[in-house]
Amino acid sequence: MTTDRWWDIVRMRFRSLVKRQRVESELDREMRYHLERQVEENIAAGMNAREAREAASRMFGGVSQIEEACRDMRRTQYLENFLEDLRYAVRMLGKSPAFAVAIVLTLALSIGANSAIFSVIDGVLLKPLPYPQAERIARVFYRGAEYAKFPMNPWDFLDFRARNRSFENFAMYTHADVQLSGTGSDPVKLAAFRISSGYFRVLGVQPARGREFDFSEERPGNGNVVILSDRVWRNQFGASADILGRKVLLDSEPYTVIAVMPVGVDHPGNSYNSVAYGDNVDAWTPFTFRGNPNNRGSHYVEGIGRLKAGVTVEQAAADFNGIMTDLASRHETEQGWTIYMVPLFQEIVGPVHKMLLVLLGAVGLVLLIACVNAANLLLARAAARQKEIAVRAALGAGRGRLVLQTLAESLLISLLGGALGALFAIVGVHVLVSFLPPGFPRTDAIHVNAFVFAFTALVAVATGLFFGLVPAVQASRTDPRQGLHEGGRGSGASARQMRLRAVLVVGEVGLACVLLVGAGALLRSFVNLLRLDPGFQPEHVLTAEIALPNANYKTTDNIASFYQRLLTNLHALPGIAAVGVGTDLPWTGYDENIGGFTIEGKIPPPHEEFHARYHTSSPDYFRAVGIPLVRGRFFNERDTKDSPRVLLINDVMARRYWPGEDAVGKRLTFDDKPKEADWFRVVGVVGDVKDTPESKGAEPAFWWPVLQQPFPFANMTIVLRANRDPLLLTEALRTNVHQLDPSLAVARVRLLDRVAEQQFATPRFALFLIGLFAALALLLASIGIYGVISYSVSQRMHEFGMRVALGASPWNLVKMVMKQGVLLTMIGVAIGLGCALALGGVLDSLLYGVSARDPLTLIGVGAMAVVTAALASLPSARRATGADPMVSLRAE
Amino acid sequence: MSKPSDLIQGTLDLLILKTIALEPMHGWAIAKRIQQVSKEVLLVTQGALYPALHRLEQQGWVRGAWRESESGREAKFYSLTKAGRAQLDRELEQWHRLSSAVVLVINAAHEV
Repeated sequence: MTTDRWWDIVRMRFRSLVKRQRVESELDREMRYHLERQVEENIAAGMNAREAREAASRMFGGVSQIEEACRDMRRTQYLENFLEDLRYAVRMLGKSPAFAVAIVLTLALSIGANSAIFSVIDGVLLKPLPYPQAERIARVFYRGAEYAKFPMNPWDFLDFRARNRSFENFAMYTHADVQLSGTGSDPVKLAAFRISSGYFRVLGVQPARGREFDFSEERPGNGNVVILSDRVWRNQFGASADILGRKVLLDSEPYTVIAVMPVGVDHPGNSYNSVAYGDNVDAWTPFTFRGNPNNRGSHYVEGIGRLKAGVTVEQAAADFNGIMTDLASRHETEQGWTIYMVPLFQEIVGPVHKMLLVLLGAVGLVLLIACVNAANLLLARAAARQKEIAVRAALGAGRGRLVLQTLAESLLISLLGGALGALFAIVGVHVLVSFLPPGFPRTDAIHVNAFVFAFTALVAVATGLFFGLVPAVQASRTDPRQGLHEGGRGSGASARQMRLRAVLVVGEVGLACVLLVGAGALLRSFVNLLRLDPGFQPEHVLTAEIALPNANYKTTDNIASFYQRLLTNLHALPGIAAVGVGTDLPWTGYDENIGGFTIEGKIPPPHEEFHARYHTSSPDYFRAVGIPLVRGRFFNERDTKDSPRVLLINDVMARRYWPGEDAVGKRLTFDDKPKEADWFRVVGVVGDVKDTPESKGAEPAFWWPVLQQPFPFANMTIVLRANRDPLLLTEALRTNVHQLDPSLAVARVRLLDRVAEQQFATPRFALFLIGLFAALALLLASIGIYGVISYSVSQRMHEFGMRVALGASPWNLVKMVMKQGVLLTMIGVAIGLGCALALGGVLDSLLYGVSARDPLTLIGVGAMAVVTAALASLPSARRATGADPMVSLRAE
Repeated sequence: MSKPSDLIQGTLDLLILKTIALEPMHGWAIAKRIQQVSKEVLLVTQGALYPALHRLEQQGWVRGAWRESESGREAKFYSLTKAGRAQLDRELEQWHRLSSAVVLVINAAHEV
């Protein structure tokens, strides 16, 4: 068939619909022309004008029938009818504005919430990462008995890069912030990474100017080149055109700028000493290292690669595991590891994937409840309009026509709800994004876009069809005779409708219970988290980070004496309760610095060694953070470089390695052949602090005094505990640091209670949303209960009147009505709690210290639903007590 | 008055398409032409003619245009579209097959 013809057809249909008036008048003119020609012919045949006209009309027959037949040929009558139905629906809604507002608003809230959650899902889970062919990028970790994700050793990396057959490019990177100086302005600390050549080829991004590192720059001594971010280039170098080749100072050492990256090069995220995906990274330097290739015990670099076309992650992992097996056979330190390879996308969104799906499920339930509620309200109206529908049926409206009529109304409602919901979604997404917990991936990608609007429209139409269908079918069953003569009570049709509405309410209550159980479990879990003793006291504490550049602070003595002088100066400030420095600020992420040691008089189990995380701290560090002393003593001023070596350990370490003994006074060493001076004596045991509030337990750890640090700890956190508002100390802290060394940057100044608070942001976010949805669900369900009970009471007023006449007290009537509401609810509760039990596992990963099947939560939810039902029935119960026996008796 | 069913279903379409194949015509003229050419055997009533014309128009086989008629007044003239011409060929071929088949059957019945 030709396209011309299709075009003609579309044009004709369009004309019939849109230019209806014109089409009609043309039809009229056409008929008149024909009639006039007939008249003329008749006159020519010898009739007079009147006879001719009469004869022509007779011959022509019914003009309107012919016109109607022509209209039928236009094939648009369904649509025209539907438009007519819509107009009618608008009029009907306008007549009961309270109903219209209630139903449209509840739908708009539910649809808006769905669209808002969907736009988060769209941005985070559906949009591809902003790298070309991002699905081919994979992250590579080691996995061992104790560690699910562990960094690689750089020598291992070189072997993997040379020997693997799976990656187009394989690169490594490791987080190492640098201090930029020599630019003429104050020194700044830059988020920086050391990377192997090929790192940017893995990501698929090219420098805006300059070039990426090549292999030669990985060689020790060649690595003093740097790639800068667009941001640093603009902010620190005024977007200077001759930036390439310029010398800058990084940690006081000269580097040459060889490239500037374009705007928006997203950091792929790293897990060791982590910087989140998408966070700003401002400088990249080549990763260079020396040492003995047979000494591979230290693991601190992370692998990332771009798979060759057609190679799967599983195949690549198998390839790497083959190499790993070979490495393990040649290096004792590399035994016990397997390769854990994961697509970059999964690595980034994995942690929030589950929560987002749970949220979508929850908000979907709310929409379902809103649908049931809308169906319920429509049914109630259908009951009120039964007469009208019966009249229409009697006048010849077919079943189909009646169904379409009701559907037109429900579609109108749902589309209005959808349009309003889209507005809610736009606002809602802003609120939602501002509530997202810190570290939530890809928040920049969350927008309300055309796709989200299309989703909203689809949901709105589906919603309208869904909640309209039940009342529509119900309406089409209306028997005209019954509808017309029925006075309004006790008919079969309204009993059937009553049952249907009761079923809907039971469903609503059930669904709401599922959400309430979820919200209740999250609430209990959140309370559990808040009740936990964090192990430290985060109030009134200011913290800041300082990094001493290696060029100026080469020895442990340089470092120790700098911190000692700084602490002495800070201690003299007014308003300071305690001040210290340390390497392990609680709840700020952790590093896997694990040290092995020998304990005096103990032999480790076969194939194991004694190990714990190592840190360093100044004497007052624990007092400043608020970590309690369990036994023994803290460090003090007498623990100097020349005094006997001492250690603090945490409670977990004491209990693991000296079970049933007092660890204080025991000795351990880090040397294989220790001299007397190489032994460290445990002088105290401090309280445990877990990595995050949700962690199962603390890890064993120990501390060296800053003055006795065995190797340089250049990066430390200063902790100031104040007697008053700690933020007032910020300026004094900067001034004191710069008095000692003007080239140092004071970075990440923050309050410890803010740091602690962020740990609760994710559970709080989940609780807030699920709680909000559950509240909405409960409200909808109570509207449903109210509607059904109120209708039932209005139907039974006559009966109540009779009962009063027979001696029933008002309290009897109230009990009867309330019983009805509560009974319906209890059926719903039973079903809902059953569903909640079945679905309980879904939430488990989001809960702490409580199960989603927790009996207390279930009982609480059931009680809450029943109380709500009683409250929702109360107004109707009161109305029932107003039943007038005289009215009832007169009607009999 | 003859009903549309006097004509075999679909035949009216064929007659209309064939009639306006020569030149564009308005409804009145189409009815008259069919009447004359069939020597007053086929009477097309308005009740059949106009719905048929509108159907053909909706299906894209004919196109209507208003212009001055021989009587000096504006009338809606129907002409064949390209697709309509192809449709006419198909309908003609179908008609020939059908009518010759009918003739065969009738002749055979004669011989028995």
